[in-house]
Amino acid sequence: MTAPATHGSATPRQSRIAALPASVDGILVTLVLGAVILWFAPVGMGRYGTYVLSLWLVMSIAVMGLNLTLGYAGLKSLAQAAFMGLGAYATALLTGKLGMNWYAAFAISGLITFAVGLLLGFPALRVQAHYLAFVTLAFSTLIWLILRNEQWLTGGVFGLSNIPRPSVFGLKLDGALAFHRFVVVVTFILAIALWWMIRSPWGRAFMALRENPVRAASLGVDTRMYTLLAFAIGSAYAGFAGALYAPLVEFIDPSPFSLSQSFFLLLMVVAGGSGYLLGPFIGALLGVVLPEWLRVVGSLYLIVFATIVMLLLIACPQGVSGLLERGWAKLTGKNNLAKTGAR
Amino acid sequence: MKMQWILAAALGALSLPALAQDKVKLVDVVELSGAGATAGTNWKNGIDLAVADINAKGGILGKQIEIVHYDTQTNPGNSRAAVQRAIDEGAYAVLGPVFSGPIGASMQIAQRAEIAQLVGGEAANLTKQGNQYLFRTSLSQTAAMPKIAKYLKDTVKAGSVAVVWVNNDFGKGGRDAIIPELEKSGIKVAVDIPTEQGQADFAADAIKVKNSNADAVFVYLNEEESARFLRAAKQQGITKPMIGETTLLGAKVIELAGDAANGVKGHVGLSIDAPIPAFQEFGKKFQAKYNYASDHNGLKGYMAVYMVKWATEKQKKFDKKGVADTLRGATIKPSDEPGILMETTIEPNGDLDRESFLAEVKDGKQVITATLPKIKP
Repeated sequence: MTAPATHGSATPRQSRIAALPASVDGILVTLVLGAVILWFAPVGMGRYGTYVLSLWLVMSIAVMGLNLTLGYAGLKSLAQAAFMGLGAYATALLTGKLGMNWYAAFAISGLITFAVGLLLGFPALRVQAHYLAFVTLAFSTLIWLILRNEQWLTGGVFGLSNIPRPSVFGLKLDGALAFHRFVVVVTFILAIALWWMIRSPWGRAFMALRENPVRAASLGVDTRMYTLLAFAIGSAYAGFAGALYAPLVEFIDPSPFSLSQSFFLLLMVVAGGSGYLLGPFIGALLGVVLPEWLRVVGSLYLIVFATIVMLLLIACPQGVSGLLERGWAKLTGKNNLAKTGAR
Repeated sequence: MKMQWILAAALGALSLPALAQDKVKLVDVVELSGAGATAGTNWKNGIDLAVADINAKGGILGKQIEIVHYDTQTNPGNSRAAVQRAIDEGAYAVLGPVFSGPIGASMQIAQRAEIAQLVGGEAANLTKQGNQYLFRTSLSQTAAMPKIAKYLKDTVKAGSVAVVWVNNDFGKGGRDAIIPELEKSGIKVAVDIPTEQGQADFAADAIKVKNSNADAVFVYLNEEESARFLRAAKQQGITKPMIGETTLLGAKVIELAGDAANGVKGHVGLSIDAPIPAFQEFGKKFQAKYNYASDHNGLKGYMAVYMVKWATEKQKKFDKKGVADTLRGATIKPSDEPGILMETTIEPNGDLDRESFLAEVKDGKQVITATLPKIKP
């Protein structure tokens, strides 16, 4: 698990960089192993379990995108669910109404959200922190109003139903297990792409942007381009998630793309561990799968869920990934010396 | 040889009680949190009441009912998961959801599994998709709105009407159903006002209504919003008749709106105040158990369980697919199944046909003024 570039002095950072190749491989191994396990996991789980797993992965993609904008580049966005909605509606309309191939619709959804993210990124150059959050909040509401009010296009409050599922080499993916495996593959590809990006100079530029934009600029990082890119790529991931969400649920209406869902995605980033590559999977697990597990406690399940999340964030503001990292460091004794030394 | 027969008989006798104790599982997938929580909680309580009644009297064909409630959070993705879970767990029939969006997202699942799904939704489009396994538990908007238009024309004698609706699937469906009916009756729509789900302040909308000078106001909002609108209308001094459909005259609205609800009139599909002893009896039982008055959603939930019971007893076996086949096109009479409360005809597309009522709120109570016949008597 990679750590975010820490706020500490140079000493721990150097030790992290020295340990980087090993930890990076760890993430790759985790992703590959995870994909293999998830490929076989639903066997014998029933359609419900399979569906929840697929939903978890789809939400993970959206959270990965937000993790890039927030966790790596430090830009607070409250529009991730709106971008997911753009992708979902684009895919639903292109495949359902125009009969387009899902792969083309997937690519177009990504392109549309990338382009809109780029446009929305411009105010991000001028406003910072909560002001940026307000700009994205306004955008989120705007998208939601369009989805709801433009009934001729989006079906309005009645939503769009009978969204077709894609096929692979002529094989229809209508079954729960087949579609789940398809989602696993797409999620894996997107996660690997992000893993590669974070390791590339782009990833380092994003982190520099988060830690100290002035210093980054003085070192020759084009802050304008990287801010826009972080926003656009993060949004495109939401678009990809939407493109999978629509055929997964086979029905969309504006409610899963409202402002409150953007907040929920933000919660998943923070609870999973913002700035950790595997954080989004843990965050989405908390946000999507935990409430389903908690159904056994009956009508109190949402209260129990909220309590768990609050306790988690009090105990560990860096999210579950931060907690795991601390635990790992304690177990191996690594970093401890460096940290105390730094202090 | 004789011994073997005795053994077989003994084994058979032993297994009988085991069979009798066997349970039939119904799963209720409903809005217990989010925007639909008020409607969903009433629906759930109605179901629990029916299940307790039926189990106390020996269950369905000797089997006790096991009921499980799953929350949809008023979210389509979660509703779909919950219905899928219900089917994976071997539900005999699915009850709910109540809101049309969650129904739209989950109805294909029950359809594919060939399991009857009895829903509380009233939106017109639900039964227009050729789903053979979806059944309503109340009149649809397409059935209710012509009655309202007729009432506005003949009884209220309104030449123009202000239409206030909530911009969700329920409100938009109602609005799209009433406007053509008003036009057909030669009534002018003075002003057409969409409002938000969960809206707190209705002062601006009430002023728009007042300025429109309409002869009557048709209010089509969810429970809490209806009450807030009535209060705002009273504050703005609107004296024109307030006309509504079921929700506006519901117990929850009357409780929340207080004085402002007095004088409200309209059409009621199901009401615990209807002049039918079985309804009032239900109302009393509900009040005693939950300590508040049930609205129409409580009645819908109650009837849904009895629809499943009636169909099962009619086919004399527990055949999941058979429940839907038996319900389609059937007429259930209270003489055959008292729990259905009033004669109900199920159309082949899953719509219902029933008597309904005209009502008025007087001194904080809903009073039924007339009973309207079935559409196809």
